[in-house]
Amino acid sequence: MTTLTALSPQPQPQGWREIIRRPGPALALLIAYIAFTTMALFGLDRTALWYPLMQIIFVPMFMFAPFLVVSAPIKTIYKVILGGVLLLLLMPLLGIYNPSWLGLAIQICVFTGLALGLNIVVGFAGLLDLGYVAFFAVGAYAWGSLTSPAGTIFTVNGWSVSPGAFYVFLIIGAAAAALVGILLGLPVLRLRGDYLAIVTLGFGEMIRVLARNADAPINFTNGAQGLHGIASPPVPGFVISFTASIGNTLGFRMENPNAVAQQLSFYVIGIIIIALIVIICRRLIDSPIGRAWTAIREDEVAALAMGVPLVKSKLMAFAMGAAFGGAIGVLYASKQTFIDPDSFQLLSSITILAMVIVGGIGSIKGVMVGAMLITLLNLSMLTNLSLQINSLKNADAVIPIVNFHFSDWPSELEPAKYGRLLFGLILVLMMIFRPAGLLPEKRRKLELTERREEVDEEPMIRDTPSGVPQERS
Amino acid sequence: MAPILEVKNLSKSFGGIRAVRDVSISIERGSMSSIIGPNGAGKTTLFNLLTGIYKADTGEILFDGKNLVGKRPDQVNAAGVARTFQNIRLFHNMSVLENVMVGAHSRLKVSLWRTLFHVGGFNEQEVAVREKALNLLKFVGLAGKGDELSRNLPYGDQRRVEIARALASDPKLILFDEPTAGMNPNETQDAIGLFRRVREELGVTVVLIEHDMRVVMNISEHIDVLDYGAKIAEGTPDEIRANPRVIEAYLGRRHSKVDESANPEVA
Amino acid sequence: MTAETLDSRRRGIFESFLDSKFYRRLSRNFIYRYVIYPVGQMLLFVALAAAVLTLVAYGIAILFPEPRPNIVLADQISKQLPGMIISGVSIGFVYAMIALGYTLVYGVLKFINFAHSELFMLGAVASFFFLSVLNTAGLLTDVHPVLLIIVMVLLSGAFTGLIGVLVERIAYKPLRGAPRLVPLITAIGVSFVLIDLTRIFAAVTINDFNLTLPTREIPALAAPVPFQFGSTTVNVRVSSIIIVVAAVIMLLFLNYFVNGTRSGRAIRAISQDATTAGLMGINVNLMISLTFLIGGAFGGFAGSLYSLNVGTINPYIGFFPGLKAFTAAVLGGIGNVTGALLGGLFIGMTESFLNGTLVYFPALGQRYTDVFTFGVLIAVLIFRPQGLLGERVDEKV
Repeated sequence: MTTLTALSPQPQPQGWREIIRRPGPALALLIAYIAFTTMALFGLDRTALWYPLMQIIFVPMFMFAPFLVVSAPIKTIYKVILGGVLLLLLMPLLGIYNPSWLGLAIQICVFTGLALGLNIVVGFAGLLDLGYVAFFAVGAYAWGSLTSPAGTIFTVNGWSVSPGAFYVFLIIGAAAAALVGILLGLPVLRLRGDYLAIVTLGFGEMIRVLARNADAPINFTNGAQGLHGIASPPVPGFVISFTASIGNTLGFRMENPNAVAQQLSFYVIGIIIIALIVIICRRLIDSPIGRAWTAIREDEVAALAMGVPLVKSKLMAFAMGAAFGGAIGVLYASKQTFIDPDSFQLLSSITILAMVIVGGIGSIKGVMVGAMLITLLNLSMLTNLSLQINSLKNADAVIPIVNFHFSDWPSELEPAKYGRLLFGLILVLMMIFRPAGLLPEKRRKLELTERREEVDEEPMIRDTPSGVPQERS
Repeated sequence: MAPILEVKNLSKSFGGIRAVRDVSISIERGSMSSIIGPNGAGKTTLFNLLTGIYKADTGEILFDGKNLVGKRPDQVNAAGVARTFQNIRLFHNMSVLENVMVGAHSRLKVSLWRTLFHVGGFNEQEVAVREKALNLLKFVGLAGKGDELSRNLPYGDQRRVEIARALASDPKLILFDEPTAGMNPNETQDAIGLFRRVREELGVTVVLIEHDMRVVMNISEHIDVLDYGAKIAEGTPDEIRANPRVIEAYLGRRHSKVDESANPEVA
Repeated sequence: MTAETLDSRRRGIFESFLDSKFYRRLSRNFIYRYVIYPVGQMLLFVALAAAVLTLVAYGIAILFPEPRPNIVLADQISKQLPGMIISGVSIGFVYAMIALGYTLVYGVLKFINFAHSELFMLGAVASFFFLSVLNTAGLLTDVHPVLLIIVMVLLSGAFTGLIGVLVERIAYKPLRGAPRLVPLITAIGVSFVLIDLTRIFAAVTINDFNLTLPTREIPALAAPVPFQFGSTTVNVRVSSIIIVVAAVIMLLFLNYFVNGTRSGRAIRAISQDATTAGLMGINVNLMISLTFLIGGAFGGFAGSLYSLNVGTINPYIGFFPGLKAFTAAVLGGIGNVTGALLGGLFIGMTESFLNGTLVYFPALGQRYTDVFTFGVLIAVLIFRPQGLLGERVDEKV
């Protein structure tokens, strides 16, 4: 029985595993690990042939350190200190040293936020939303169309918003996305799960089609050209001077302290947003709403008969997820300063879904790990692999024994362009071998590893007052 | 006193099959009554109509003077009608306590605002609903089992959880769909005691669908008999026992074995 | 084309006719059952879809007589009507063939095979490679064009059918009986894997993933065929005619397979109740594989025919036809083979009419065709989720 295995205690570790579980050695090991990865990153030579490969190895090692800190068997106070050092000291320092790492950290915040938002919909409420990126787009376009000099209907009429309104727009973007979520959800949330999946899939693409075409006759989105020069929130002067002085003190070469300070402030905003989202997720799941979502996932008819309003509960999940997407969209548009319809492809929706699934559907910590892993894969490892192949090409390297010249590598075969393959494979393999993810949430694990005896017809209730079918499980 | 539930001329068809036809039933406030009938007589369909899972084609369901036809199941539950299911439908991967807490959903103030900011008595409400669920578990005899996963409980206990879950919505009327099915005689005796306590200690009107005639005759004050979707008799247990139409429905016209094929299962 | 529609015990105004001795004898006749009846059904559906959409189009013309200055919408519609119907029928058959794959798999496994649109794409890509190989070998002009196309379509279909079976065995079979979410997510993953594997294959072989079929080398495909409708002449592309003819022939075969063979009966039995079918001695696994083989093959046929029509393809072309075909399957009633045909024709025709009329609305334009088609999907799901020909199912509680 799955139950027994799921609930039985972990086997007692032995040997070295047992030693590192003791608080003392664990703390020492952790500090050594953090010191080593940090020094390694500071020591990388950007001109070396194998620089991209080194990044593939050491950047993820460093980025995962916070999760090691959180799960290590050490006192909470040490966790707080180490976590603070990592997030608020080392990461900014590394970011000032090499702004691309800071950019990566911000992207990780963005995608963690999105994954946590999607997790509310998929993980908590059990609704498969394959067009989640649409809500992200709503937030991004809400901020972009009002601040880009591209000449949308808003800016042409002089409605331009001051960059300082960014923080207000995090909320407006969230509200706008939630509204879109409710408008889409009202008709389709009554549908069975697989229909909902395909409707959201189509909806995600339709938003893109709309974004591409809504430049005439009234220009809302500036069409396929996209919106450029999107405003960033003003950076307080002390952050700039602080950044510059740090750079000078440590002797980092810095072309543009203003830009780095800007990124630094995005990083801090991102960390704060993620912290807020985590708190909200915790509160949601530990409330009547969270219990109602679980009940709906388990048995829709029984939940309904116990007084749980289906559509309302699902709408709440949809709206909350959408709101996170919208807020993150504002952050993303502002950070990138450029968005176009192709920033919001089906691929992004599926990438976010992959984050939720890899980490552990329904598990907050798992989803954060998944988001980090997939973002690193997507934006750092694949890109660096491409760079590595290019640098090998330029160096005219040859694989010995098989005598393969890297100059013969087909130009179309660039790893960065094959995210689909990777995420597709991840989805398939996870679903077959570990459907509940790397860090499974207990209940979800039980649900996802259940097998019905036969391939039976999924019956539906019909003739319910709403007159539409509803999924049973 | 006016009856708590009055069903008037209720009908429901699926395709060509008339699962419930022109049924009228009246349930006295505070009573304990049963609905019986052979397999496929339309009993469960009737419950599904009463609780809003199916929508009636014609007829009225007056509960406490309000018409329930056209109401969603969650609205019916909020109005004060709770139920259990023939094939136990617990939330298997939730704990026993959580199951019961979900049962109280329609009695809770649920809003995103309260949940996100923990205002408006959110914490007090959580404490109260946990307390209530624990008390109900004690009431049905499952004290101390709240933290177990409901799928891990033995069958009889799962039935009890379902009853506690239904009671958590503070119903005025509770519908039990074959609550003793699959129980051994001892468990059945315990269950009968529980049904009585539900009525006497909590003052909830009870309606049972039951196959076990000993149970039915033992505890019902009033019995309605369905056959082929239509009501064929009603009365006290003694009247029902003597009613020739009921005997015919159960045993066939010539007291022969019940011809199963002539009774297509209509759930 | 399902058994129900051939059942003589139907109620309705034709009851007396359907009960007559003549009809009973007729309905047992092979030619009637597997040729005349389904062809009649297709003609009926085409006529129905054309009639409904023509009415709608003229209705819109009444509401918006002159969407642009000096352009009378009704006149434009009258002028374009034959062309719109012909292109609608041709694309409609493509959608119908893809929709069959969705509907057949849904029938046996109760699951939406998202990856099906990629089988369509693979059919198109397979055709490209087939023609390219022949072209580089210089054989393209030597082979008779009809033979060439038959071989191309059949090979593409066989290839995608096998891929379909492979996918089922590797990715879906381990997940039978799992919660609904699981195979859906897997199918999405499979879809992405197939897209990128195709792109990698194209990258490694020809270092380009925009594939232009060497159809220009085939003279028989180049010149359009003029058709006279009253005063207007419509030039119909040869590929459109090929699509319709090929689709009709293959749909007839499918109809025979589903309704006239033991395997077809087994598949129908499984879609009613897989467990009982298994207990009755049907090899459920084999039949599920067979369903994927046939569904996949039809996706491939459709892709192959479609590639002839569009000329240039890439690994990403599957999405929109897939979504539209899914819409078609839902519109017809998912799980219902006849419904897929009806839905496909309706969606194809709708798209062609939208393309024809949206041009005249300056605020919208053809670029919103896909949005409107998607609107159809949502509308169907809301107002008639069981589809035009689907049946309501009630749950036992």
